[in-house]
Amino acid sequence: MKNISFQSDILPLKNELFRMALRITQNREEAEDVVQETMLKIWDRRDQWAQLESIEAFCLTICRNLSLDKLRRMDNQVQSLSDDIDPTDHSHGANPEQVAIRNERSEMVRQMINELPERLRTCMQLRDIEGKSYRDIATILDITEQQVKVNIFRARQAVREKYLKNVEC
Amino acid sequence: MRNEIFFDFPVTFLFNKRQPYRDNKKDMDYKYIEQLMERYWNAETSLEEESILRTFFSQKDIPAEMEHLRPLFVDEAVGETLDDDFDARILQAIGAEIATPHSDHSSENVVKAREVSLTQRLMPLFKAAAVVAIILTLGGALQAPWDSTWNTPDDYAAIQQADTMNVIPVQAENFSTTTSDSIGVMQTDQPKN
Repeated sequence: MKNISFQSDILPLKNELFRMALRITQNREEAEDVVQETMLKIWDRRDQWAQLESIEAFCLTICRNLSLDKLRRMDNQVQSLSDDIDPTDHSHGANPEQVAIRNERSEMVRQMINELPERLRTCMQLRDIEGKSYRDIATILDITEQQVKVNIFRARQAVREKYLKNVEC
Repeated sequence: MRNEIFFDFPVTFLFNKRQPYRDNKKDMDYKYIEQLMERYWNAETSLEEESILRTFFSQKDIPAEMEHLRPLFVDEAVGETLDDDFDARILQAIGAEIATPHSDHSSENVVKAREVSLTQRLMPLFKAAAVVAIILTLGGALQAPWDSTWNTPDDYAAIQQADTMNVIPVQAENFSTTTSDSIGVMQTDQPKN
């Protein structure tokens, strides 16, 4: 990776980083803070950019770590997480059409994903939403490709199982 | 654009699958999607197949019985992005950092630039001094022969006299009294030999 420009290579990753932070912290404001911290941290390490294999993976790794830190701090604040995860939080779905399309069931799936252990959830997010390869996910999470596959398998099975259970009810 | 991609793939799908073509093309698409979903649950799908699913679920019209699966592939947060204010804030934070001495790279550059500009600023002065020195030197050099020349014929005669007196006797013998200058001497001298 040569000649990485902050404005054209790193700043455009903001939404991807934001989605990841959002999945982990499940709070919009906190996620935005995390992305901001991530960006500044990456800027501070700009002398390392040239040596990186993938700046994107680097950014995502930092973002995930900061999100986890944030999550821990939030937990310490004895703040009920469920207050933050407002399942009917439409602050982002300002588009009325989208809001209409979203039905109870899809909200359920979302809820299920959010209830997964963080590692499974992040693997699933990176794979299914961001379309990352097993290898990229392994780099970002610093685990083996095999572990990534197992995590994704478990995550999908868990969602499917829970979903089927809910549908039967 | 995504929809176009999606509508392209059933064409290849027709060749791959044994199922006979039915009037309701959509049904078939959904069959294929269902198959993909089955493999998806078992984590057997490739990235390409998952991107087909992603494309499929990002369409507006999907069957109601599949609607609930949408959040698996399409983050509703897609519409939820960080705005330009965020960019501005980040860039400002970074710009502010550049201005502070914290960033040693840029401060080094400033010092370096100042050094260069100092030399460059003095350069015209050096040039002027050099020009003056050259003029003085040349002027002095020109002045010397000018001083020893004559302004009136009498002066010239006096100089000539002095020159002739300084000539060593052997050479002086060859001088005729009418010789006006040394070139003349050479010219009158040569035919003799």
